Amino acid sequence: MKNLIFALITSMTAVSGQTDPAAEVQQLKTDLIGHTMGGREKTWKFQSLEQIKDLVITQKTEAGPLRLYLITLELQDPRVTGKYRAQAQVRYEKVDTRWTIESVGLTSMTKLE
Amino acid sequence: MAFQRIFTEQDGLGPLFNIDGVSCAECHEDPVVGGVGNEVETHATRFVPPNSCDPLFDEGGPVIQQDATSLLKAKGILKEEIPARATGQAHRSSPPLFGFGLIDLIPEKAILAYEDPDDKDKDGISGRANRTIDGRVGRFGRKAAVATLFEFNAGAFPAEMGVTTPLSPKEETINGRPVPPDADPATDPEVSQLDIQRVTNFIRFLAVPAPKLPIEHAAAEQVERGKKLFSDIQCARCHVPELKTGPSEIAALDRKPVALYSDLLLHDMGPELADICLDGATPAEFRTEMLMGLRLREKFLHDGSAESVQKAIERHAAEARKARDAFIALSDKDKEALLAFLQTI
Repeated sequence: MKNLIFALITSMTAVSGQTDPAAEVQQLKTDLIGHTMGGREKTWKFQSLEQIKDLVITQKTEAGPLRLYLITLELQDPRVTGKYRAQAQVRYEKVDTRWTIESVGLTSMTKLE
Repeated sequence: MAFQRIFTEQDGLGPLFNIDGVSCAECHEDPVVGGVGNEVETHATRFVPPNSCDPLFDEGGPVIQQDATSLLKAKGILKEEIPARATGQAHRSSPPLFGFGLIDLIPEKAILAYEDPDDKDKDGISGRANRTIDGRVGRFGRKAAVATLFEFNAGAFPAEMGVTTPLSPKEETINGRPVPPDADPATDPEVSQLDIQRVTNFIRFLAVPAPKLPIEHAAAEQVERGKKLFSDIQCARCHVPELKTGPSEIAALDRKPVALYSDLLLHDMGPELADICLDGATPAEFRTEMLMGLRLREKFLHDGSAESVQKAIERHAAEARKARDAFIALSDKDKEALLAFLQTI
């Protein structure tokens, strides 16, 4: 029962109900894991929280069951040397009571070092 | 069918795209849909020795689009230029896509098993896997800078045709400058994720061409001898004849042998062929070219600059030098046998 209550609370606060900016950023980072943006040589697949060095929400809009975040990221994978700054659109969709990522769109990327 | 869909500027083409890049099938068409194309595209990146590579994403790289829609041309922009910060440029021909679904399913560990980055066996051939910018083992593209078939296709829409997708929902820039207003009438994204998946599914089931073996006895013997020579002179050291796919829910792809003739690793091919860096690949390093479907090609090497297989072999260098020299030292009869074998692939 304790686990169920915890899961319900986690689910209810997943991005949609976030009022704490730091928690919202953290939830976004967690939600991004497993998603892919871009394509060809300019692909980023989010494989671990360790890859996301920084995430800033620059804009958030919501209309009905859709929510769109514009974010700026600093990304670096520990297996390779390059560090990148990326801008992305994260599109959430509300299914039942839960917000889930529908797509992550890469809008720009620059190699920093 | 998504692979053959012809885009116009009204429904997503451009405003920048590659020459003939109005559909996937336009560049992968010969002898059937999914095959080779005669198009050669331009890439550019920035390399800072010993191992720093900037793909110049924010300046239009690495694919430099060579054509524009009429709407963009009307604004005086005919194509993208090589970025000023680029240190190298390259040309790339369109490969046949047969067997790419099987390549997609070769386990990373099967590729890594062939690595010998420090040449511990002292055979002059090292070989190492390229890593994508997010750290995965690369396998697609002439520098093995792309990890999966889906991701290659997802990137081909914007890079080759200027078509935006949910994964790349904003038009690519023109050497870093935004697309002028009114040059792109279609609403973004111009295709759906399902469209990318459909193209990927089409390519996934393109089979590797079956070997075209001669029936006549003397010709069959010649091919058999050529096959042995291919191994004897160490061509097969990098052009590994066969790898195997991992588990798949699709029976046709599940743990199947793939006669790809590549180890999917990067090898130093020498200064003459060197062009651009890409991810971990230095300008001189190329992924061992997959030879499956070789007989369907009319131009050879990564840039289509060799007019025959023999000329392509003769331009191998560095890690491939010993094998090249061994080929050159073969008798005419043996050379003919080896080339006859290659024409069966």
